[in-house]
Amino acid sequence: MTAPAIPGWPAVAASAVLVALAALIAARARLGLAADVLIAAARALGQLIAVAAVLAVIFDWGGLAGSCAWIAIMVLIAGRVAARRARGLPRAPAVATLAVAAGTAGTLAVLVAFTVIDTRPHVLVPVAGMVVAGAMQATALTLTRLREEIETARPQIEARLSLGLDAAAAFAPHARTALRTAVMPAIDSTKVVGLISLPGAMTGLILAGIDPLTAIRYQIVVMYMLLAAATLAALVAARLARTVLFDDAHRLHDLATPFPR
Amino acid sequence: MLPQEGFALEQVSLRRGGALVLHDVSAHLPRGCCTLVTGPSGAGKSSLLRLLNRLADPASGQIALDGRPLTGYDPLRLRRRIALVAQHTVLLTGTVAGELAVGRPGLETAQARELLERVGLGGAFLSRPTAGLSGGQAQRLGIARALTTGPEVLLLDEPTSALDAAATGLIDDLVASFIADGGSVVLVSHRTTGVQRLAGHALVLRDGRLIEAGDPAHLTYPAAP
Repeated sequence: MTAPAIPGWPAVAASAVLVALAALIAARARLGLAADVLIAAARALGQLIAVAAVLAVIFDWGGLAGSCAWIAIMVLIAGRVAARRARGLPRAPAVATLAVAAGTAGTLAVLVAFTVIDTRPHVLVPVAGMVVAGAMQATALTLTRLREEIETARPQIEARLSLGLDAAAAFAPHARTALRTAVMPAIDSTKVVGLISLPGAMTGLILAGIDPLTAIRYQIVVMYMLLAAATLAALVAARLARTVLFDDAHRLHDLATPFPR
Repeated sequence: MLPQEGFALEQVSLRRGGALVLHDVSAHLPRGCCTLVTGPSGAGKSSLLRLLNRLADPASGQIALDGRPLTGYDPLRLRRRIALVAQHTVLLTGTVAGELAVGRPGLETAQARELLERVGLGGAFLSRPTAGLSGGQAQRLGIARALTTGPEVLLLDEPTSALDAAATGLIDDLVASFIADGGSVVLVSHRTTGVQRLAGHALVLRDGRLIEAGDPAHLTYPAAP
């Protein structure tokens, strides 16, 4: 196989020409985006250097404890991002964080238990990053869709409650809709993997000089784990959302009034 | 002391969306009769019904049923005993048979047909989809659906608002026979004519306050313009 095609720092600096080009086009076309392009590019540089430095420390000295700590930080950040989509939903940050955590922990536990991956930091942390991202997307979609459902479907939910159905039964059709919406992207991308785009893990391995037939093995694992992470996170998000949306007397909270904390 | 039979409201206030929709309402809704709840729109009539089957709880005050606080009953069982029929029936399943099975899975065909007959839809409706139903038919299906749980109290919110005179007569007959069979009805209606003969008791609300209670035949509401 060929040697890993990884650009050196001079090559990276050369690629900044592309940023300059994008900024120039934005300025000439008066899009008002030239500054944004430059800021985004600088931010990406800074963020990635910082993350790489942290990862280097974790990989060299962190061990399993350091990996778990880093994964926990990723889960907390992902929970906050997903919760932002669910504004108006009671206790959204806690619900979103727990859902992402459940999706991540469940998926990683299976991968480790079946020795699909090992627990060395340079394996565990990048894999966890992909799992957290998948769980975050599914959680955000579930909560966004549930919030919309609750806003429009209150009469249906209350009609079911009025017939003596409990909160779980009255909420079930709406939870199903939200879960389908949340898991669909993971199913779709699994269906077309390799046909429309070469996925990240596989691309990385091929760029690093790995034989494509070997690289797909990793990608298959990635696709399967992302399906699991999305489904698990969405399920937990919907279940937790139900507990915060309904009270003990099986009533849907009034979203216009403040929720009990 | 709280009256033993029926609903007793003691200084009940209710907030909805931050606004006070019922203010300090004390009233008695007796068993075994039809209580008419009337008043102008926005008076809090529908909100009162939501309190009686615990879709809402009062912000202050207390509600008792047969001398026992409403909060002391299991809410799910309570809602099956105290069936609420909303003003606009929300259809849930796509078929008439499906609607009748929501509150009572496994309802037998004969019973379902009988319920449809009682609300004047006819047993043949059982096999129909709900998509083609008129507003009045949907409203009557909503009443039949509420009856599937075998309630002892019917809370009807403007049940005849989408019905013609003939169908209105049918619902009036249903209310009369429900009471004759030992049930109780709380009937919200913005009109007082026609329903007065059904009702044994009446409450008049305005701006969330109880302004009149008593014999429906001697109400001063609606006042002459």
